[in-house]
Amino acid sequence: MKNNIRVERAIKNITQGDLAELVNVSRQTINSIESNKYVPSTVLALKIARVFGKPLEGIFTLEEGD
Amino acid sequence: MKSRFLFPYWCRYLGWGLVIAHVPLTMIAGQNGMEIESGPGGQGLFTGSHLFFMCTALLMATGLFMVAFAKEKMEDEQIWHIRLESLRWAIYVNYIILITSLVFINDTGHILELNLWVPLLFFIVRFRWVIFRLNRSLSREG
Repeated sequence: MKNNIRVERAIKNITQGDLAELVNVSRQTINSIESNKYVPSTVLALKIARVFGKPLEGIFTLEEGD
Repeated sequence: MKSRFLFPYWCRYLGWGLVIAHVPLTMIAGQNGMEIESGPGGQGLFTGSHLFFMCTALLMATGLFMVAFAKEKMEDEQIWHIRLESLRWAIYVNYIILITSLVFINDTGHILELNLWVPLLFFIVRFRWVIFRLNRSLSREG
């Protein structure tokens, strides 16, 4: 699963640490999600989408093979 | 994220304290020639050496247990995921060692001892290693 959190963060001008605090996880987790090392749970994905004010599909997209 | 069935964060330090405390006790016993290596069997229950073996084994096992299942400072779903993955690996390794030693070693006392600390120790090492790698990649990216 791909995501454009890095881009959305840049648009909103917030750091990984800020986003981590907003969704109540560690900075490592946000970093792992951004670099596609970790697929977040539905709850966390929805929380992240809510921070950016976008639907889930606007942030996360399925890749071939998913 | 709600994390049930985990010890508070400070239990990690208490756990390491218990593990470290068990080392000199075992060494002293070894110097005095106590047969703690033979395990709980052999000389009957609640004899001096059995009680000593029980105390040192309990110190070590409780210590490792506390270290393994203490909360992280920031307990989130990724940590939970790493914890489960490490637990799975620990069980795999434990059973591979257990089955191999059951086939090739005819000493159930040592197998029991091995079974006491291998899964916990492997779990701790694997869990901490993955977290260390995560932190390293984080500091590399800045």
